Amino acid sequence: MKKLFLLTALVVLVVALAACAAPTPEPTKAPAPAPTTAPATAPTKAPEPTKAPEPTKPAPTAVKINNPPKTPEEVDAIDLTGKKVTVTYWHNRPQKDQDMLQSMLDEFNKTNPYGITAKAEIGGASYNDVYNKVNAAIQAGAPPDISVAYQNQAAFYRNQGAVIDLNPFIKSKKYGLSEADLKDYFQTFLASDANPQFKGEVLGFPTQRSMDVMYVNLDMLKKVGYDKIPTDWKTWEEAACKASDPANKKYGWAFRHDASNFATLVFSRGGRILAEDGSAYVFNSQAGIDATSMIQRMIANKCAVEIPTSERYGEQNRFGAGEILFVFASSSGLPFYNEAVSKGAKFTWDIAMPPNTGKPAINLYGASISVYKTTPEKELAAWLVIKFLGQKEQTTRWAIQTGYLPVRQSAKADVIAAFKKDKSWGPVADSYAKMFDWAQYAMVESPVAGYDPVRALIDKDVMSKVLADPKADVKALLDAAVKQANAILKENAPK
Amino acid sequence: MASESSTIPTSVHPSGKQIDWVRALIYVILIVGALASALPFLYMIMTSFKTYGDIINNNFWPWPPFGDEALQWQNYPDAINNVGFDKAWQVPLVVRYFANSIIVTVLGVVGILLTSIFAAYALAQMNLPGKNIIFILILATLMIPPDLTLVPKVVMMFNFGWYNAYPALIIPFLASVFSIFLLRQFFMQIPKDLFDAALIDGAGHLRYLFTIVLPLSKPAVVTTALLNFIWSWDSFKWPLLVTRDSNMRVVAVGLQQFMASEGGTKVQLLMAFATLVVVPVLVFYFITQKYFKEGVITTGIKG
Repeated sequence: MKKLFLLTALVVLVVALAACAAPTPEPTKAPAPAPTTAPATAPTKAPEPTKAPEPTKPAPTAVKINNPPKTPEEVDAIDLTGKKVTVTYWHNRPQKDQDMLQSMLDEFNKTNPYGITAKAEIGGASYNDVYNKVNAAIQAGAPPDISVAYQNQAAFYRNQGAVIDLNPFIKSKKYGLSEADLKDYFQTFLASDANPQFKGEVLGFPTQRSMDVMYVNLDMLKKVGYDKIPTDWKTWEEAACKASDPANKKYGWAFRHDASNFATLVFSRGGRILAEDGSAYVFNSQAGIDATSMIQRMIANKCAVEIPTSERYGEQNRFGAGEILFVFASSSGLPFYNEAVSKGAKFTWDIAMPPNTGKPAINLYGASISVYKTTPEKELAAWLVIKFLGQKEQTTRWAIQTGYLPVRQSAKADVIAAFKKDKSWGPVADSYAKMFDWAQYAMVESPVAGYDPVRALIDKDVMSKVLADPKADVKALLDAAVKQANAILKENAPK
Repeated sequence: MASESSTIPTSVHPSGKQIDWVRALIYVILIVGALASALPFLYMIMTSFKTYGDIINNNFWPWPPFGDEALQWQNYPDAINNVGFDKAWQVPLVVRYFANSIIVTVLGVVGILLTSIFAAYALAQMNLPGKNIIFILILATLMIPPDLTLVPKVVMMFNFGWYNAYPALIIPFLASVFSIFLLRQFFMQIPKDLFDAALIDGAGHLRYLFTIVLPLSKPAVVTTALLNFIWSWDSFKWPLLVTRDSNMRVVAVGLQQFMASEGGTKVQLLMAFATLVVVPVLVFYFITQKYFKEGVITTGIKG
């Protein structure tokens, strides 16, 4: 009986604890999309009888505000006075960055004249975590007000009517960005968010960017007889093969097993992953064939080593150990590469643009911030938060803390100066500075809905096969993959 | 029997004893299996005491006598600090993660045991009409992939107002089909005569369950508790989906923070934090090891 009593007591405890749980704040629900109307302007006074009647001005008409607003005028007409709107931002950065982000938002909360309160929340540790969480929240009717999202993820949300076009907000005279502000942004960064699948709708706005750069072991390169970093693919492959010594675990290239690595090779040969108008996948072009053939050839000739997906950041560790000549990886890894080399084989290294076939190109990384459909007031408040985060001061602070690129050209000097001052960055600060010049060559992989399964397809049905079989028919594999990718594109076309 | 034993290959050891080669082979396979299971764990612990340089340079044993590095105990406080600080409680955030994990796991395991024991008892020992059909229906829910029910469950959490609160982390897991199945199989082995005897002595179902069935079923109950402890402690996706604030999150979500989405990761800190996360599971396992082994043997489950 004593045990029975104990068990009963435990049941009571469970129920009591569940009941005493911290009160849950109401989730932000998307209200009914009824269009709101701006308050009508004060009625014109009747002319005084003693005075001659003045020529009548056209009476100002009340602007009907759709949800989401469709024109800059509709945005201008939104009145935030006294609304005390809250904005929740889901991102994927670690706690250290969350603290920094919240401190920036606290400043916004104090200074914005509309009483907007913004709060940052860690939605997950990776872009995929946030993506999964947002998808569940959209189904639950409780998405955040803004979240980090890659262009293709934003397109997927847009297909469900969950995110909105930011064009009217950007162009708003009252709340938008001035021409000077817009010019200050890196134009390729801004352009990357205009979605071809949705007729140029801007489904996100950049507050950070990175790019797929080439990390080079300069000592190793010199040892095999090259004073300069190769800028064409033929010389590059030659150098990689000369540097390879499989018996001593040395390779010219560490091939990271994913679609982004492939995209870099295609872009730098003048090709594309997706047609410019977003109508079809085109990675089976000659550029795609050449890139894939090179991967196949270099692996077969042992000029390159495949980094299995299970070996997370294996290419970085091996590079740090002095085993690899070339690696293509995100520029956000610069501080990590710096540490890997300084704690590892301690050699001279640098970053460079990938070699090319005449037209330089670089794969642009970095998610933007998307705004979810809630109410026009909340959407405007969300835009004002994003606009604040894109200000020179904020993008500078964010870049210095995270190692990402700032989105404004005016932030460049401050960020570089900060890195040069910071001893832990060492010579990497100079390498970082180069990327600002490369921004003009930026290209985006595929901003359309359904790109994630296409990435998996490229990896599984093309990369894995050419890595395993040196005789695999590259053209046939690419053609088959493009056919499947286009079927996925069709499935995910705007409804 | 004589002919069977004569077929086993044996040879004579110089000491005069016969060597049973089949048994030796079994031992070799078992040793290899044990090493394969233990290696990732050993790798984790060893890496948690290395410098980043040792990891980069693939230095397997950087400590004396083969190397001159000291054990990097500092990795542990560094890992804890890396996770962040909880301003509300004025403690490292890791304290909140562990507190949340303990609350969720303990209440979850207790709740599952209660619901599973009652359900399993009813299905195994009571004369319920159509109980086999009920059991099959319960088992059929195992066929539904958990990911399929994820979104509807998240929607429910929002609708119930449980989002970012303990009920969302605990209540959806208070019933476990696997645990019901496991306990039912064990309870079915208890002879019905015992119930008849208890009935004559004036006991009802509840008294019989708590004074006779459960003491006899300790291994199965402990196995159920241990398995659910591990699953609850390790759960990542659900706590991530239904929580918003860092101070509502659990250790597995904290661990994920070390895997930066772009750039790189500090492996030594990741491994130090992973070791901290694994310790409670190991402690619980060692405490319940005896019963767990019995449970595995008597219920026929594997790991």
